Amino acid sequence: MRRVAIIGVGNSKFGVRNDALIQEIAFEAVKEAFEDAGITQKDIDLSVVGSVGTRLYEALPAVPINEYVGLDGKGPIRVEAACATGSAAVFTAYNAIASGYVDTAIAIGVEKMCEVDTPTSTAVGGRGGNYLWEFHMFGTSFAGYYALYATAHMSKYGTKEEQLAKVAVKAHKYGAMNPKAHFQKEINMESALKSRVVCWPLKLYDCCPISDGAAAVILSSEDKVREFKVEDPIWIKAIGFSSDTSNLVRRPDYVGLGATVRAAEMAYRIAKITPGDVDVATVHDCFTIAEIMAYEDLGFCKKGEGGKLIDEEQTYVGGKIPVNVDGGLKAKGHPLGATGCSMIYELTKQLRNEAGRRQVPLKRNIALAHNVGGTGHYCYVTILER
Amino acid sequence: MSIKSRPLNFIHDIPIIKTKKFWDGLNEGKIYATKCKDCGKVYFPPQVDCPKCLKSNFEWIPLTNEGEIETFTESHLKPQGFTHYEKPYIIAIAKTLEGVKIMGWLEGVEISNVKVGMKVEITSKTQPDGYPVILFKPKTT
Repeated sequence: MRRVAIIGVGNSKFGVRNDALIQEIAFEAVKEAFEDAGITQKDIDLSVVGSVGTRLYEALPAVPINEYVGLDGKGPIRVEAACATGSAAVFTAYNAIASGYVDTAIAIGVEKMCEVDTPTSTAVGGRGGNYLWEFHMFGTSFAGYYALYATAHMSKYGTKEEQLAKVAVKAHKYGAMNPKAHFQKEINMESALKSRVVCWPLKLYDCCPISDGAAAVILSSEDKVREFKVEDPIWIKAIGFSSDTSNLVRRPDYVGLGATVRAAEMAYRIAKITPGDVDVATVHDCFTIAEIMAYEDLGFCKKGEGGKLIDEEQTYVGGKIPVNVDGGLKAKGHPLGATGCSMIYELTKQLRNEAGRRQVPLKRNIALAHNVGGTGHYCYVTILER
Repeated sequence: MSIKSRPLNFIHDIPIIKTKKFWDGLNEGKIYATKCKDCGKVYFPPQVDCPKCLKSNFEWIPLTNEGEIETFTESHLKPQGFTHYEKPYIIAIAKTLEGVKIMGWLEGVEISNVKVGMKVEITSKTQPDGYPVILFKPKTT
């Protein structure tokens, strides 16, 4: 296996992007990534396009996207891993380079979710489990699935609605400092706790928005890093992956995601690090409870103490382990296919010390991205090092 | 500014030949699981092929109609396909006496009175729109 570096990153503005087509949004991210890397399309061997695509009128989105951004003939491979699609795209590009099959690849994560109405979008999301045994009979939704975890976690560990709200307040604080974020407005505890119930116990401010957006990551071999004269490559130390049952009733409990625990163990083992070595993390906070569970399942605190970690503000910049200081899915937005690539975008900026007001202090120069697909149906944990 | 796409409607014909016993059971208020005749593994949701021993010899077993709530939520969202349902509905996961977990709608109780560990009776009903649903009701002792 060869070493693989991230040499360029790009991220479109996230939000309700009814001003642009999916390929136009992808272009924004790809253009920024090429400029960041200082290379052009001719230097790319393989394009990997990550898009869940289930809300699109475009049946095969990778092909029009690849054409629009000038990458005809360079693939594409289209990948899908629900909300972890972006990480699956990075993993695919990484493997192609690590194996020696190609030297330089681009992972493009992109999603348009706001072109259909909310009941349609909710139904498409709710089918992301096992249609016949969940959505068909019970009208499940993504908020509903995570609410089932929230209820169990609150019942077992005494996690409070206030602790969930604190996760949302943190997300909006950093979203307000991120010009790419869907929501760039701070909120307070009162407005979070008073927001309307979506799926009890989750309220509106416990939920990420439905967003459009794109992010792109350019990766290359060590030889190409030298050839392209990349000054500040960020190295991929490890990518851990796992999955879980489609049916929630086949899981042992609802207080954590087994896929996260297994993917994290794999990533830590390969990278030869412990959770305490991580300077900054992006975790999959599609709902506030998901961030609390991620703290625990990634080993940032003991099981059941995720609520305490946010109470103590240990996941803010300056805390023990800063988490989602780009606003997270909650405030930055969660365009499914884009999210995993956007996490790598943020962590690359952090490791290069380019995150401005949101910059975390770097000690070991190690960052971690945790990207979940579905309700723990897929998980990727990616560890980066400068 | 935008233009409308050409409409595309999907309504699937879903084969239930192999799980007909389960769907018939719902009409009688009974919930059926499958059990592999070769290795004894019980499957719910029911499936007729056993990934554990790679055989397809199974029998149907009726589950007891008693369970305990493991977790629950009240959905105020109405996804497409459910927009005609007037009230929020409670989705719960219960564990039956034989240790099988099933999803269902919990009726006959306010959300504020639902607790993890609550005992429920497990049955089923057909919704006014014709779709069947597994139903949990608080157990009266």
